[in-house]
Amino acid sequence: MEPGVTRNALTQLRRGTLEYCVLALLRRGRQYGFELIRTLSESDGLLVSEGTIYPLLSRLRRDDLVTTSWQESEAGPPRRYYQLTSAGERALADFSDEWARFRDAVDELLTHGEGDEQRAY
Amino acid sequence: MNNVHTDRLVEDYLLRLDAAASVLPTVRRAELISEIRDHLQEGLREIEPGDEAAVRNLLERLGSPEEIVSAAVDATPSAQVIAPSTVANGYAIASVLLGVLWILGIGSVFALIFGYRARREIKNSRGNQTGLGLATAGIVLGWIGIAIVLLVSLGAVALVANSGGSGGTRVPIHTPQRNP
Repeated sequence: MEPGVTRNALTQLRRGTLEYCVLALLRRGRQYGFELIRTLSESDGLLVSEGTIYPLLSRLRRDDLVTTSWQESEAGPPRRYYQLTSAGERALADFSDEWARFRDAVDELLTHGEGDEQRAY
Repeated sequence: MNNVHTDRLVEDYLLRLDAAASVLPTVRRAELISEIRDHLQEGLREIEPGDEAAVRNLLERLGSPEEIVSAAVDATPSAQVIAPSTVANGYAIASVLLGVLWILGIGSVFALIFGYRARREIKNSRGNQTGLGLATAGIVLGWIGIAIVLLVSLGAVALVANSGGSGGTRVPIHTPQRNP
């Protein structure tokens, strides 16, 4: 069981970063929703409710970060494929830079704090 | 039989989703439901018919319908688009009713009070309340009602003054009634 505060922090982090994880996955090529979710689910702790990806995809589409196209599948209903746009690529690149700085800063503080503590004693 | 049972699970889930999604704009609602339906169809293709545990697992992984809808609400660009069923302002309705009822001008006074109040509230609601037309109608009716009261009382005064003038200072018409 994660303590409540930690869980809340993780929920916020997930909410903020998930869309970039989706964009990053699409860098490999276009994918349809079910496939995308399957891949995301394989990353531990990234996705809590698979269904919430669809509203997120719909917003990415409205923001022109992805485009969609329908294609028949061998069996079952036609699939909606999502593809990264150039705006999406730019957004992803910007985020990657910021994220690296953010992650390093947090890591630095988390580990540095530990070091200080040890030094104090 | 099992098949029917697992179909029911999926159908129930989609019905709950449809109900929860009523807060979304129509287009978004339809889109979300069809996407979740397609997702379930994809998932069901990999499941042995009648494997209830697997179907439950598939639904559980999706998350609750309420959770998905709340994510969709968060993803909707502006708060106005959601418009949780715009309601007519209550004061606006009361204003029109009282304006029509008139009640010897008392209704009109309240029609005006409520009408102006309704207009203020509707303007402050940023599109979440309707009834501006009703409120205006109430205000117009209110003023008409008050105008009628004024005209009638003016008429009455004129009448009294008139009858007083023609009949000299013989004041009350009622006097004869006093001594039956």
